[in-house]
Amino acid sequence: MTSSETSSLLARSVATAAVLAAATKGRAAEKEDKFLAEISSDDPDVRFAAWDIAAEMDTAVIPALSKLLVAEDPGVRKAAAEALNNIVHSVGKEVNPAGLRANAGRPNNPGESDKRQQVVGKLLEVLAGSGDHAEKVAALRHLSLLATTDDVLAIAKFVADPKLREEAVFSLERIPGKTSEEALLAALPDAAEDFKPRILAALGHRRAEEAISACLDAMKSPDATIAMAGMKAAARIGAKTGGQVKLPDYDSLSEWQKTEYTDSMLRYADAQVEQGNTEDVLPIYQAALQRDEGHWQCAAIIGLAKVGTAEAAAAIFPKLESDDNTVRITAQKAWVAMSNASKISGG
Amino acid sequence: MSTKTKTSTKTSRRTFLSTSASATLGFTIVPSSVMASPAPSDRLNLGHIGIGGRGRRFLRPLAALDQKVVPWENLGGQGDRFLRPALSTALCDADSSRLDMAATAVGGRPRLYKDFRRLLEQKDLDAVVIASPDHWHALMMIMACQAGKDVYVEKPASKTVEEGRAMVTAAERYGRVVQVGSQGRSQDPAYHANKYISNGQIGTVRKVLCWHYENPVGDWTPDAEAPEGLNFDNWIGPARRISYNEKRTHGRFRWMLDFGGGQIRDRGAHVMSVANWIMKADYKGPVSVEATGQPHHDGMYDSPQHMTVTYEFKDPDWTLVWAQPGVPSEEMEARYGAVYWGDTGRLTVTYGDRHFTDTEQQAKDYKSPHGGVEVFRSPGHFENFEDCIKSRDKPIMHIESAHRVATLCILGNISYRLRRKLDWDSVNEQVRNDQEANRLLSRPGRGPWHL
Repeated sequence: MTSSETSSLLARSVATAAVLAAATKGRAAEKEDKFLAEISSDDPDVRFAAWDIAAEMDTAVIPALSKLLVAEDPGVRKAAAEALNNIVHSVGKEVNPAGLRANAGRPNNPGESDKRQQVVGKLLEVLAGSGDHAEKVAALRHLSLLATTDDVLAIAKFVADPKLREEAVFSLERIPGKTSEEALLAALPDAAEDFKPRILAALGHRRAEEAISACLDAMKSPDATIAMAGMKAAARIGAKTGGQVKLPDYDSLSEWQKTEYTDSMLRYADAQVEQGNTEDVLPIYQAALQRDEGHWQCAAIIGLAKVGTAEAAAAIFPKLESDDNTVRITAQKAWVAMSNASKISGG
Repeated sequence: MSTKTKTSTKTSRRTFLSTSASATLGFTIVPSSVMASPAPSDRLNLGHIGIGGRGRRFLRPLAALDQKVVPWENLGGQGDRFLRPALSTALCDADSSRLDMAATAVGGRPRLYKDFRRLLEQKDLDAVVIASPDHWHALMMIMACQAGKDVYVEKPASKTVEEGRAMVTAAERYGRVVQVGSQGRSQDPAYHANKYISNGQIGTVRKVLCWHYENPVGDWTPDAEAPEGLNFDNWIGPARRISYNEKRTHGRFRWMLDFGGGQIRDRGAHVMSVANWIMKADYKGPVSVEATGQPHHDGMYDSPQHMTVTYEFKDPDWTLVWAQPGVPSEEMEARYGAVYWGDTGRLTVTYGDRHFTDTEQQAKDYKSPHGGVEVFRSPGHFENFEDCIKSRDKPIMHIESAHRVATLCILGNISYRLRRKLDWDSVNEQVRNDQEANRLLSRPGRGPWHL
């Protein structure tokens, strides 16, 4: 075969491939159009038949489906929402260890991660687009289930958007990995004052140890709501703080904030005991034991019983004769539990 | 945080050293008289959060304070007790029309609140009854524990698995008594069935088949402005922001997966509560959960019209099936219930239209032999709660057991939504190898409302 014959054959092959590709693309577009028409049908059964098989559709339908979330007909809105749910859930069973893009194509279910990334890509496209607010909210909700650390930055941008910030934090709060915690932490300084407690709550919920100093800073705020949000988050994170910590000004707190304050102290103490750091917790529990309210005393007794030292037992001992029925019984039960633990450990 | 507690310790060094010395002598020197429990004041001051259809049934009016009050039959019991004297002294609801109605029903001058935190600040309340929508149960119960209240909270316990575990932790942290309103366990037929099965009368149970009628459709109704008097933002609380719609609010929230979760959560919390009790699974969970279902093709609600969920338990091995609608029992006429299949027989335990449990006559007639298995017989669901407030024991539907039942309901819905089987690690409360399912085990809060 001459070189010109080879070139000619190659050109014909390329042309054939292009025709085939165009035909395939055409067929795919046709399939998508048919699908979207069925989702928009007046007939609920036709709509259902379409949403039921939505997971088989190419991810290219996601932007168009998102637009149907604000269709006039509520039945169409429902069908679009269910179709998007099915697409998202069909790729959600992440089998990669870290769920990272770098691992795509190497899962137990070959191809799933690739499609997952395509779905995430389309959802991010909807999020960044000029569509209706409801489309973006839905995209953030779906991203909360699928997005990975690779997608965090694209989502984190919306924490600064007053209309989408709640949903953006919701989404980040659910995405595993340090990157989402770092993004929340990075958004904190520039966040509106009224939104800082929300970000702190997310960091507390995530038990984000890196956020502990930001929480301690927040506790210094003259705004009691921010200060208490910092304290609550720090208590939930439960990392040992060390050194002197400026706590919110107790007397300036509302009644409920005072409850949250003491609850946070006890949560922190309980977390320390769980981690085996018992040396700092006795003053916290002993302070709670001195409170008039029985439940603070109960919490201290239960915490002290877990500490299990002679000093802890000594602190519980007077409560065995408490006039408060609940406190006394709690102390008795704690005493028995400590006794049993002592026998078990040969103490 | 470790060094500056605001409240200083008042214990003197002398007292501290003397108690410390006593303590080091050992744990057995406490005189037995110390262990005796004098009775507390007998009247309960109750606070009520959520006083709609269900919540108002728990109100204790001033007019009845000096009367002997017969327990509400729906809450079970043997009919041989009166309730402890109690008065509803604080009422809270996001809807002022409900609040006013409840205030009128109670009489006197109960304190009225639209923010439940203000109610919880009331120091003179012995216990609170929470009958709010499901998506509020966890936060309200946890905050009530933080405020030192014992709690009667309606079923299902929680909306997510994470919430349920946090509820258990809160009750434990503050030593609070928490009874969850799956009252079937306190009704005599459940007791008879438990005794009958526990004494081997149908052999080893390998399958419990629950049946229940389907979820409603919900005609399309346009969104609207919330009615005057309803603080809709407070009503939504920690759940996702939605527009007001009468078909999604009072009582009807339960047909949406994001709020109530359908029949499997509403009534599953009854039927599967009795199953878990009889099967001694209050501290256990299944190893796998697999749901299939059929949604309504149209209408407002997204909870499935039909669904079948299969739960496999190990050690001992048994299968729990939630079949909606399933096939009603041949033995007993009822719209929902469960058939317990043993290797030598079977027994039906129903919940009827009037929401009472029932079981077959042979179980009711059964007398356990000397040395047979004893089963706790609740004096009634609220009476059991009252008893535990005094004794500090765990009630029959304590929060751990309710969390385990709620977990079954929640996992059933997650498996349905994801269209796949879940491999459940009930010790760590995680789905194995399914990241999306695990993300659905918790739900970030909204605004100021967080676990």
